[in-house]
Amino acid sequence: MSGETRVPEDERASGAQARKFVALGSDPFEDAIETDPFLDGLSLLGLEPAPVPTASRFERPAAEAPVRPVPSAARPQSAPTPILRRHWSSTPPLAEVELPEPEGWLERTLGPEERRRLAALTHLVEGEGAYDRFGFAPEVIKRAFPFFFGLYKLWFRVESRDPQNLPAEGPAILVGNHGGLLPFDAAMCVIDVLMHTDPPRLARTIVDRWAGTLPWVNVFYARVGQVIGTRENFADLLADGQLLLVFPEGMDGMRKTVTQRYRLQRFRVGFIEQALRQSVPIVPIGIIGSDDQSPILHDFRPLARRLGLPVLPITPTFPWLGPLGLVPYPVRYRIVYGEPLNFHQRFGPEDAGDSRLVQYLAKQVRRAVQLLVDRNR
Amino acid sequence: MSRRVLITHADEPIGRRLTKTLYHDEEVERIVALGQGRPPRSFDSFLSGPGRRLTYARIDLAKHRPVTDLFHSPSLREARIDSVIHLPRHGPPSAPPTTGERPLVAGVAERTAEARLVLQHCLESGGIRNLIAVGSAFVYRLAPGNSNRFTEESELDLDPEVPPEIRSWIDCDMIFHGEVHNENLDVTLLRVPTIVASGGYVFMNPSLSSARGPRVRPLGFDPMCSLVSDKDVVRAVRLALHARRSGIFNIAGREAIPFSVLARWTGTPSWPIPGSLLRAVSRAVELVGGEDVRSALDGPHLRFGFTLDTSRAEHQLGFRPGYRIGLSRAGDGKLRIETAPA
Repeated sequence: MSGETRVPEDERASGAQARKFVALGSDPFEDAIETDPFLDGLSLLGLEPAPVPTASRFERPAAEAPVRPVPSAARPQSAPTPILRRHWSSTPPLAEVELPEPEGWLERTLGPEERRRLAALTHLVEGEGAYDRFGFAPEVIKRAFPFFFGLYKLWFRVESRDPQNLPAEGPAILVGNHGGLLPFDAAMCVIDVLMHTDPPRLARTIVDRWAGTLPWVNVFYARVGQVIGTRENFADLLADGQLLLVFPEGMDGMRKTVTQRYRLQRFRVGFIEQALRQSVPIVPIGIIGSDDQSPILHDFRPLARRLGLPVLPITPTFPWLGPLGLVPYPVRYRIVYGEPLNFHQRFGPEDAGDSRLVQYLAKQVRRAVQLLVDRNR
Repeated sequence: MSRRVLITHADEPIGRRLTKTLYHDEEVERIVALGQGRPPRSFDSFLSGPGRRLTYARIDLAKHRPVTDLFHSPSLREARIDSVIHLPRHGPPSAPPTTGERPLVAGVAERTAEARLVLQHCLESGGIRNLIAVGSAFVYRLAPGNSNRFTEESELDLDPEVPPEIRSWIDCDMIFHGEVHNENLDVTLLRVPTIVASGGYVFMNPSLSSARGPRVRPLGFDPMCSLVSDKDVVRAVRLALHARRSGIFNIAGREAIPFSVLARWTGTPSWPIPGSLLRAVSRAVELVGGEDVRSALDGPHLRFGFTLDTSRAEHQLGFRPGYRIGLSRAGDGKLRIETAPA
């Protein structure tokens, strides 16, 4: 069986045999989902409409076991690595949070539940300090929240599906699709996670290193809990029991043109390595709406590169209306949470160094996110 | 085992506190304190105390001849010193910096010259087995997207454009680093971030402790500053003295606050100025010979923050920050940065 998983490139290129294995080592989105052998792999990961009725999503009787195109199929299975709980930064359950008095007119626009959730976030900072070591300041998020919550409720009218898939405690990596020129999808996702978890959880968004060079933006990002995406930061936050939100497409996801809407771009694999090393689950998230908020008609990439910009787009409103043209359209957002992918139950931290396995798992996650997007559009 | 210790820069704030702490340490048999100025008044009772456990000597550690004379003097030989604690020259808070002020050799800052001389004599002396040096954590490479937490293995900033103040710290660091694996001398290098002392004093921050007057920072940037209490630094040195472990250790407190907040807490708000303008002013200042001001005007430490991973010091030296840093109302009614037991 394992022999079928390794198909030379030249064989893959021709005939029905090639059709059968076309997805192995290639872009799985080039073919229709139904003909893709990775579907079996997905059912193992619990992403089929009908959940797999086994105790572990990875365990099946040998007779039923489908082709498992993992590059290192012969590898002895690692024992599940338990998450070692040390002191995790956490918030108290909502019922235990005292309702604070609203400060200022902006905060009065929030309901008691939102205020309570915001108050819970102050527990994420150790002691009585105003900042955590990454620069996160609960006071800043408290002030910024009414504006973004207004966008969440009124502008994007976000609908949340299956938030019960979010882990109530402990570290996890949320992986979503990126789009829409400006990262409102990340903001909506952070608010959605905050509003649908008890105890309330703050998703720490992993941002590009480039963001650290942008005046004001770098400070704002740090104060609202976003973190530069380095391996050390990643590992540090996971060891602290935090919820990380990553967009492995990076800038490629944000500068997609209208013709590529909701087609996920290539995934970076760093988050898989960290998930294996730290033995944490991955929760796929499908975000629908972000790719419609600022449809890019054309991106002048060479010119953008010369100017040191990540993107130089033309949209129906930009640059014709100036900066106002960057205001996202009031499209309806839908955020769908998939079932957690517990790769760490099958693979150990030592497998994080296997680049083929890591690539494969990244593709599995990408597929999972793509399926969530496709099924909920 | 009792120790016989030599402490450099014992007349400066950290040195004074360390000397007093070690004087009350029963495992320290003899202390030779060196300083450039007159003996601090707080040493009076110790100097006249029974057994003459403390001796104070005035010396300019940056000058070759006096240092050589001291290390070969009968009095030091009689003291049978086995451990040397080399504290950084930081001067009084808000004083003009000392780096580049009196270069001994072209391009060598005073601080670097001191480190070289102290290390050289420790290596040449037969009796000294332990050298503890306190260095700066601003030696780490700060760049867009650097990790938030530096370990001892993190990359040092070897950029030739680095401000002179930081360059001198890097030079000192590398001088001691080179002897960490020496078999005859245990070299312990402690890298500390911004040191905060009671009363709102700040040491060893290239921007806050090395220039007078108002502070500046690039517009749109406000990096996180890792802090440590002066008492915790003294505790760490004492632990390193008794642990006798070669190596490099990060020492830091629990707190990290934005640069602007730290500046405000020390009573001198920082003015945000466009980064390009700051860079131009910094170049101009350097051209007219004001190199010492450059680190206060420009440098990656004004844009990118960091904290320190102290797990190695925790495991090997048993160091855990014992003091917290925060604001408290002083006698004059003003809020000032203060340290208090955790």
